[in-house]
Amino acid sequence: MRTMEGVALKLPSFSQLINPNQLINRTSLNLRFNFPKSFSSSSSSSSSPKASLSVPAAAPVSLGHSTRPDFEILHQKVPNGSKLVYLDNAATSQKPSAVIDAVNNYYRSYNSNVHRGIHFLSARATDEYEMARKKVAAFINASQSSEIVFTRNATEAINLVAYSWGISNLKPKDEIVVTVAEHHSAIVPWQLLSEKTGAVLKFVSLTEDEVPDVKMLQETLSNKTKLVVVHHVSNVLASVLPIKEIAKWAHDTGARILVDACQSVPHMVVDVQDLGVDFLVASSHKMCGPTGVGFLYGKSEILASMPPFLGGGEMISDVFLDHSTYADPPSRFEAGTPAIGEAIGLGAAIDYLSEIGMQKIHDYEVELGNYLYENLRKVPGVGIYGPAPSQTVDRAALCSFNVEGLHPTDLATFLDQQHGVAIRSGHHCAQPLHRYLGINASARASLYFYNTKEDVDDFIRALDDTIGFFNSFK
Amino acid sequence: MNSASTSASVFRPPTCSILPPQPSISSNSNLSRIQYKRAKTNPRSISTIALQISHPKHLTPPDPPNFSTLPTVSEKLETLVSEFRSLPEPIDRVKRLLHYASLLPEFEESGRVESNRVTGCTAQVWLEVVMDGEGRMRFRVDSDSEITKGFCYCLIWLLDGAAAGEVVDFRIDDLGEMNVGILPIRASSRVNTWHNVLLGMQRRTKALIMESDNSLPLLQ
Repeated sequence: MRTMEGVALKLPSFSQLINPNQLINRTSLNLRFNFPKSFSSSSSSSSSPKASLSVPAAAPVSLGHSTRPDFEILHQKVPNGSKLVYLDNAATSQKPSAVIDAVNNYYRSYNSNVHRGIHFLSARATDEYEMARKKVAAFINASQSSEIVFTRNATEAINLVAYSWGISNLKPKDEIVVTVAEHHSAIVPWQLLSEKTGAVLKFVSLTEDEVPDVKMLQETLSNKTKLVVVHHVSNVLASVLPIKEIAKWAHDTGARILVDACQSVPHMVVDVQDLGVDFLVASSHKMCGPTGVGFLYGKSEILASMPPFLGGGEMISDVFLDHSTYADPPSRFEAGTPAIGEAIGLGAAIDYLSEIGMQKIHDYEVELGNYLYENLRKVPGVGIYGPAPSQTVDRAALCSFNVEGLHPTDLATFLDQQHGVAIRSGHHCAQPLHRYLGINASARASLYFYNTKEDVDDFIRALDDTIGFFNSFK
Repeated sequence: MNSASTSASVFRPPTCSILPPQPSISSNSNLSRIQYKRAKTNPRSISTIALQISHPKHLTPPDPPNFSTLPTVSEKLETLVSEFRSLPEPIDRVKRLLHYASLLPEFEESGRVESNRVTGCTAQVWLEVVMDGEGRMRFRVDSDSEITKGFCYCLIWLLDGAAAGEVVDFRIDDLGEMNVGILPIRASSRVNTWHNVLLGMQRRTKALIMESDNSLPLLQ
């Protein structure tokens, strides 16, 4: 149960308190107030220990406002005295107190190596670590928790597939289909792999609406295709790919599909069984969890057929001088002592997100993302990349953009220095995409469920001021 | 130290008095372009191309810096550091850098080639590095980012005309004061473009030193 102390609500009077047991509407948060008993005795109706009054509900508090108190880091001022406006969530997310407390608690109370120890601390650490694995499995609806391999991050998870599945399954002239919009982590491992195996990368480009050309992707698939690697949500274009369809097409040609879900798992419901993917990767630090842990989802039968990636302790069954036998997945791919506390922290993050509800988070972000897009679009000289939002096109809650005549790094520097607004500028680990779009770099503002409309307003105001400042020098 | 260290001082852009005068290039018709003068000996080595940078955009300040002799790189660095230290507000440092960006000499289009690009930067930077006949380093730079251009102008002011050894020995930490707060100097990341530019200047200077050392035994 999360407490809502510190939530600042504009309430006309004490008598207009929201019934904590009543959900106002689907998109608002169920607010729980901890009030001392003496207060509740002055309420006009119910004699229950909680304050509950039958009065019209006040305006629902947005998800951003209601969750902000859980993120201490957001309540700070930057050196120049401005309040921090954090809009770099696609790079990494902030962590709620529950996650920080879970990691702290692990180190304070039961830190111990997992899986081998007999003693009490080790048993507890193992339990919590494996519980975290179950939570990840449930979060993405994997059929069993052994389909979840903990890695350092999504990048390592992709490399695991490349060096384990890739090396043993790809032959010269086999094709790997990717899009030009992929993150470097979904391109470079395959380039390295193609040098070793002779497999070939085929790139799918974008449509005029600046989304990956799904039709071209379908046409690129052939019986030579062995693997399709695609993002679910683009960290630059904010576009969403129809993974279910793409997976079906891949399987129809006998290929496997790996989905980079780094920008989708934190923001929406992702069901791997429904999507039908063979591999899926994500990073904890983008979903309110600690850095240092991520995961690979792989269908059991595929993982079972894969040779080890890293060798060492935990992934073995028996070790002799001249050979070793290997453990079953997922242990087979988890050599050495894992990031135990961090995995437990990821589990706590999943608890936190699940309690809010991923659909609720997604709905809020669609609304806030559209608010960002519409307001940013109106700023003179701004061009936003990716598709325009519409009835049929959902954008992720991020905008990569450029301002005419102003380098994004100059823009981001001034926004930070003068206004405390944190956005990102550069390639966003997508140089091929930038080259395709004919630009060298872009700025990117990316939201998460703890951002508010006020954050967007602050950003737009700061952007206007920044553009004005640089224009005054021309 | 001269009066440049007071808080009200203005950082003087480099004047022609800092570079040794080149009497053969006195024509006014081409002041906006970089002038090249080929050295008489060893036409093979580009390291002997003499380069003079002219600064048409700035006005000769009424009272040039009070250097009794040509200032060393360290003296110039002190001037620069105190200049930026006198601007505690980031916005003022940004404004100063944007002003310096406007003073950067024009960079010829022919110089915007891949071999001149400073890699690892989020802004595009082109850098030309040559060694003149007297073993001094000459630099020209351009960028698509105005703040980067400002930093590069300062770097050039510090190091243009310096001995090759001085360029290579220059310590990066000293430039902390100029920082518009992007990242501390110690973090070498792609965002810290001007840090990469400095490294580029030093790397290519070292290459030219080795080239000129190696070329000596080849002279007939």
